[in-house]
Amino acid sequence: MSLPLEEREMAVVGCGPAGLCAAITAAKTGADVVVLDENDRAGGQLIKQIHRFFGSRRHGAGKRGYEIAGELERESEAAGVEMRLGNTVLGLFPGGEMMVEDRDGVYVLRARAVVVATGASEKGLAFPGWTLPGVMGAGAAQTLVNLHGVLPGRRVLMVGAGNVGLIVSYQLLQAGAEVVGILDVSERVGGYEVHRLRVQREGVPFYLGHRVVQARGRYGVEEVSVEEVGGASRKVFRADAVCLAVGLSPLAELAAMCGCRMVYSRELGGFMPWHDGDMRTDQPGVYVAGDAAGVEEASVAMEEGRMAGLSAAEDLGAMGRKEAERAKDEVRRFLWELRGGPYGEAKRRAKESVHCA
Amino acid sequence: MRVSGRKEGGETRVDPWSQAWERAAAGAVAVVDCGERIPCNPCEEACTRGAIEVGEDICAPPRFDPGLCDGCGRCVAMCPGMAVFLLDRSVGNGRARVTVPYEMGEEMRAGREVWAMDGEGKPLGKARVVGAKKRGGRAGTTLVTVEVDEGWALKVRGVRDRLITLEAPLEAEAEPLKEYPLCRCEEVSGPRVGEVAAEFASLRSLRRFSRVGLGYCQGRFCQDMLRERLARAREMEEGEVGTFRVRPPVRPVKLGKLGGEDA
Repeated sequence: MSLPLEEREMAVVGCGPAGLCAAITAAKTGADVVVLDENDRAGGQLIKQIHRFFGSRRHGAGKRGYEIAGELERESEAAGVEMRLGNTVLGLFPGGEMMVEDRDGVYVLRARAVVVATGASEKGLAFPGWTLPGVMGAGAAQTLVNLHGVLPGRRVLMVGAGNVGLIVSYQLLQAGAEVVGILDVSERVGGYEVHRLRVQREGVPFYLGHRVVQARGRYGVEEVSVEEVGGASRKVFRADAVCLAVGLSPLAELAAMCGCRMVYSRELGGFMPWHDGDMRTDQPGVYVAGDAAGVEEASVAMEEGRMAGLSAAEDLGAMGRKEAERAKDEVRRFLWELRGGPYGEAKRRAKESVHCA
Repeated sequence: MRVSGRKEGGETRVDPWSQAWERAAAGAVAVVDCGERIPCNPCEEACTRGAIEVGEDICAPPRFDPGLCDGCGRCVAMCPGMAVFLLDRSVGNGRARVTVPYEMGEEMRAGREVWAMDGEGKPLGKARVVGAKKRGGRAGTTLVTVEVDEGWALKVRGVRDRLITLEAPLEAEAEPLKEYPLCRCEEVSGPRVGEVAAEFASLRSLRRFSRVGLGYCQGRFCQDMLRERLARAREMEEGEVGTFRVRPPVRPVKLGKLGGEDA
């Protein structure tokens, strides 16, 4: 028995900001592009982002995440991108061959260019009681609240004071939950000051230099114990949900499977496929973009997607080298801008070390 | 005019609230309370009068010229950090108006009594809403204007329809628990993995021995935690420990879909 085989010019795995921008950019040069995503809606994480985005106009700043998702989806339709939602890529093999599952079965799709834009996954934190109902990733809580209209709990303890922890805390408040505190092992808040201030003005207390010891409860979380790092002080919170915002890891299993060399960067979330500044991996015809290439902001993911789309179009011959270089210079300029400031510069240095690894 | 400063990257930043004080005597003026270098510039675009400038370097904190501001509030609605406010002292009689961006669920309308909150979420006191309008269409932000005692004007950062008193955590010790799974799919004990980790030279051999990461999720949740424990046990960098080998399928799939008589 053999599986049905389909041959295409370019395939993009993942329909978030990076994947959509890669697809749009390449399709505009005339390339034949198909985007595959296991979810039923386009936009990746953008569809649950109800807050206004940072960045510049080019990245939809000032708009809410889900509005940006809608715009990118319309733009990709206009550019002639074929969108296949509910299509899960199960494997990627050398030569651009992939095994894809759809509702009816499994088929093989072979593409001359493959962009891996599969995003990131939330990191876990294991402690006694972390498997109780009510303990979940902050991103999962955000999905529950903003997509499904379900509160993860009435009294929530947030673990992690980075931007994700701060933003999701605010959104839990918007949804009507109480946030009993934001905890972080670090002595300082990792997220943007403006995010800290707006959560703080809603009366949410910060417990910096604290860590979770355990969660207890009969059928779900009822109380959470925390302690001061290196200190004797212990506290017990009455809470029915614990959200973990302790970081994201690049999710690039498909790239690893097809032979891409993986490199490590703590700043960018863990292991990711080695890639150059043009988002090419060490496997011919395989490109990477967005959080799968190191966890950063959505605006960076869009620019990396454009870069990957340009490299793919260039390698496919849909775009001349000179023309591609000109377009890439523009993307490089935006990436440089976005990686400015104290937060961005750390990412820029980490990214440079990945290119050189 | 009271001017207090906040340390920002070695430089002392002039408090934008105090800075707006004089100009606010003549009517509403923006208070741009944003001093951190982050990549963001929608406020610049929101202002049609050129009062806010970020410039080429989008990480530069906005520079604000109160003389050009007419207090329209577009920037208040547009700021992703909800860090722009309006201050208006033209009402006189020891009163002042503060406009804040509001994105909570309660309906705000003129005439309503609300609580004026400070930057720490502490109530300053009751205040009357004198204006509430949604700016920026369906996905807009509500601009709520409250009239307060002039003495509070520099402190108001938000409004709330009712006060919520958070229960403080107990300063106590709960009965300690020791056991927990590191791998949820295969139910492998975290403490036990910690005990044996030092005996394994590689992440892959520790995975095979412990079965951490061999379950349904294929390590998506536990791989990082296992790596961290192995690195700690063997005093290695996490980057040196390496990764699991990835094999297809990366998502669980029914065998029937891959083939078989009915496929």
